[in-house]
Amino acid sequence: MCKIDYLGTGLCPSGPKRHFVAYYPQGRMDIYDALAGELIPVTEGLLDIADTCTLCGICDRQCHFYTGMRPMTVMRALKDYVASWRKEGGRAAATAEDEVLKELRKIVGREWATSDPAILVTYANDPFPLTGMRMPGYVVLPGSRRDVESIIKLANDRALPFAIRGNGGSVFGFVFTEGIVLDMNRMRKMEIDPDNWSADVEPGVTSFDLQREAYRRGLRVNAAEPAATVCGNIVCTGTFSTWSNVYGTAADNFIDMEFVDRSGRAFHLNDKSIVNHFGFERNVLPSPGVCTRAVVKLHPVTDDEEGVLVPFADFDEAVRFARNLSQRRIGLAVAVLGAHYIANFMSPSKELAARLKQSLPDVLGCSYMVFAVGDRYAREAIKRMAGAVIDQRLFRMLMLGLPRLLDPKWVDLIREYEGTMRPYELLCKSEMRPLLEAVLEPSAETIAGAVDEDLRSFYTGLYERPEMTDMVWLNMFRIVSSRMSREKHMLAFLVYVPLDHIDVIKGINEEFKRIADAEGLDNDYGFLTPMDFGKRAILEYDYYIDQTDPAEAEKIARVMGKIEPWLDALAAKTRGVQWLKYVFSQGCSRKENFLYESFQPLRSGGAGR
Amino acid sequence: MRISTGELKRTRAERKGRILLTGGTGFLGSHLAAGLLRSGYKISLLARPLKQGRADERVEKLLDWFGIEPGLRKNLQIVEGTIEKPGLGLSGEALSDCLENTTELIHCASNTGFAERKRPEIEAANIGGLLNVLDFASRSRCAFFHHLSTAYAAGRREGLCREELVDTDDFTNVYEETKARGERLVSDHCRTAGIRLNIYRPSIVYGDSRTGRSLLFNALYYPVKTTVFLKNLYEADILERGGRKAAMMGVRRESDGSLYLPIRFEVESAEGINLIPVDYFVAAFTAILEESLEGGIFHIVNARSTTMGDLIDYTRRLFNIRGIEPCRPEDFGARPRNALEILFNNYLEAYGPYMRDKRTFVMDNARGILARRRIACPEFDFEVFSRCMNYAVEVDWGARLYGGV
Repeated sequence: MCKIDYLGTGLCPSGPKRHFVAYYPQGRMDIYDALAGELIPVTEGLLDIADTCTLCGICDRQCHFYTGMRPMTVMRALKDYVASWRKEGGRAAATAEDEVLKELRKIVGREWATSDPAILVTYANDPFPLTGMRMPGYVVLPGSRRDVESIIKLANDRALPFAIRGNGGSVFGFVFTEGIVLDMNRMRKMEIDPDNWSADVEPGVTSFDLQREAYRRGLRVNAAEPAATVCGNIVCTGTFSTWSNVYGTAADNFIDMEFVDRSGRAFHLNDKSIVNHFGFERNVLPSPGVCTRAVVKLHPVTDDEEGVLVPFADFDEAVRFARNLSQRRIGLAVAVLGAHYIANFMSPSKELAARLKQSLPDVLGCSYMVFAVGDRYAREAIKRMAGAVIDQRLFRMLMLGLPRLLDPKWVDLIREYEGTMRPYELLCKSEMRPLLEAVLEPSAETIAGAVDEDLRSFYTGLYERPEMTDMVWLNMFRIVSSRMSREKHMLAFLVYVPLDHIDVIKGINEEFKRIADAEGLDNDYGFLTPMDFGKRAILEYDYYIDQTDPAEAEKIARVMGKIEPWLDALAAKTRGVQWLKYVFSQGCSRKENFLYESFQPLRSGGAGR
Repeated sequence: MRISTGELKRTRAERKGRILLTGGTGFLGSHLAAGLLRSGYKISLLARPLKQGRADERVEKLLDWFGIEPGLRKNLQIVEGTIEKPGLGLSGEALSDCLENTTELIHCASNTGFAERKRPEIEAANIGGLLNVLDFASRSRCAFFHHLSTAYAAGRREGLCREELVDTDDFTNVYEETKARGERLVSDHCRTAGIRLNIYRPSIVYGDSRTGRSLLFNALYYPVKTTVFLKNLYEADILERGGRKAAMMGVRRESDGSLYLPIRFEVESAEGINLIPVDYFVAAFTAILEESLEGGIFHIVNARSTTMGDLIDYTRRLFNIRGIEPCRPEDFGARPRNALEILFNNYLEAYGPYMRDKRTFVMDNARGILARRRIACPEFDFEVFSRCMNYAVEVDWGARLYGGV
């Protein structure tokens, strides 16, 4: 997340100049950790990395917003360490330039290829608990498709393995190699073509950057998490979001994509002479190659779109409502969210999130909410269909007044309320707004009161910006989704499910819960988004782990041993169930090819019957 | 019967038996426990471990709150268990000990929620929990079951309600319904098992009429607590933030320093709410326990109800509030309800049937015992109201009782 300017604070100054992960706060944290663990020596690269940190504090603000952490402590520690090391007359280890590095530098230019351990170490690990550290031999930042072709040819000639990192980052433990890491961060060209309703993007372009560009032009893209690259996310997962309700997923998202295959040859997916990558095979397959460009779809936006939340006490009711919206083509983005998601999306601190998560069901009587974005006609329909609705105005009020919503005196009053309506139904009544206004005192200052004192003025400025409480904006840019890992690292399990079989969906949730509980792993329902007119949906269930605790890694290893056979068996016998594991790397396929079955033996006796 | 009247009298007089009390950390249960300990009875108190603390820690805090002398505490045994589980969640030695030594059982544990949406948990406690307790009683040496019910098990009706099992399916809410079902269950079960049975039916219980002290601040307290919350909220708005939000609601400060809160309460008739203080409840319960050896059903109620008009008047006087007015239902047609009125109206939809109660609870069984012991229900006048509400404010409606039990 520190590679995108999602709060408008600007970026860590050295990152956009040097592009390597090591020059961003994330990389400096890894480097300090590696130094502390004596995994790397002090190198020339490390000195430069430490020296280019200006202690400007941007990382503290950015990181606190979604993790609650304050990386400045580490940045200071790194600089202090280097200062002492110099004082003691330390001599930096020089990195020898071998033949491969020479070749790589010939392709991309001297500054964009390295084998400095301080830089390599920032590509050697990720939070996924089942993969250990693997130091690459080289990291290279290609600047063009030709660079990619040449690097792959070089790797093949030298029999070196290679791995691609879209934006330098990794979470699933897949993109490690002892060979060459290609970080696509320099390839960030992006062109919007409004007449063609498309954006032409290079592989270093992030979802946030593309959405921002589209948004400026009154358009929208079906975007992944903000820091994920557009190309990488399509290739890996097919890109899904709450907007997939109308925009679909996988091949629905793009017009064409350009790849460099494993032999170093470029091709386009629309080329009729190539292998059909739009097809789907229920197997773990490699990606079509290294994506070097994509022409992705853009969608129109009307000026009256707003978000609404429809609270429910019960999962079944919430799912039925979401399906109803999708079947009736009401609304754009649609999702069933649990208390855990809502609490973290709304709360600027994990303490407040924990209290809200508990209060939503216990005090307000609301365990789930259907989130929807719609124009005024859709919202009118939703209001008529639902008993109680949190509209944009009320949402803003609740979010800005959150600390007071959770004030013990008010919570007590609501908890003991024995009225005929559920508490949330009462609070959603429009006549109650003046009272809520008085109780919550919603303002940027009120919500900023929930964070560390020295960050309050920054948060006040942040929440004074209308988009920070705008459900449409927040959902388009997804900057609060990253808060899901604020407490612990989140391991997301994604399954396509048949939306007309709530029993199947509930069964999946229960089994995920049972497996995690048996191991004592924190777990919670994530979200459910209808797809393809409510026929199918994508379900996320999340496990939360401390990735630094080896005991938790062992637990994850054991649960994976249970989840894989269970989900495989379930998918084999239940139509519409498809685990994302098999879609992974087949994200360019048509969704119909993994959401539905293809040819089945004909059972009818002939035409006309 | 498992025990003869004579033996029961002897066991009681010599304080030989042990009474197992469920719900002993609740409002009524804890007051009963304190009262019975002071009368020299030996009590086993069933308490759940909660996140607020271990059962014994919570009970210790309660005993401190009641001022139970250390010498009396030796008669109290704390049993960590729950009515939610068969065998009360006990096992091994703890279970054998309870089964062997329980001679009487007072069942106070109950879910007093009204809302239909809470039916599963209310049924789980008031029916499922009761069945677990009855099963335990059958397996134990328990010879007398004291079942705490409610006067409102009578169901939705008007006129006289007698001290007998009711036969109706018409209830105001799930609480009444489950308590009535519970009475029938306990009655059938005790008859079959040869266990003597008293059913106690209090009306709505508030704090101690002599001291104002209470452990629970719902029911009668809730609308007053809400009124005080709103008063503090709007006074702070007026005094500290210019009063814009108060003005939006038509709230203002009067020249005499009082606060004008525009809240109309729907009052249909002169009927009122049947309130008894907890000191009267404990005295009456103990008297009935000691005197009704053959068993029976007993109303513990107030012969005189308190009207909504009285409650509104007391609240206005004590908290220096104006604007709260009783009104007729048709008055809301001319001016729709504001946010404050909607808040109260929804509450009154649940509590209204108790505030406009047309039931008269006959005390034929209880009256004689209470008269012999000279136990009379104190009147709920402004003085008692003030005492109770001042205590509630002093302990911040329970938040400052003893650090949370």
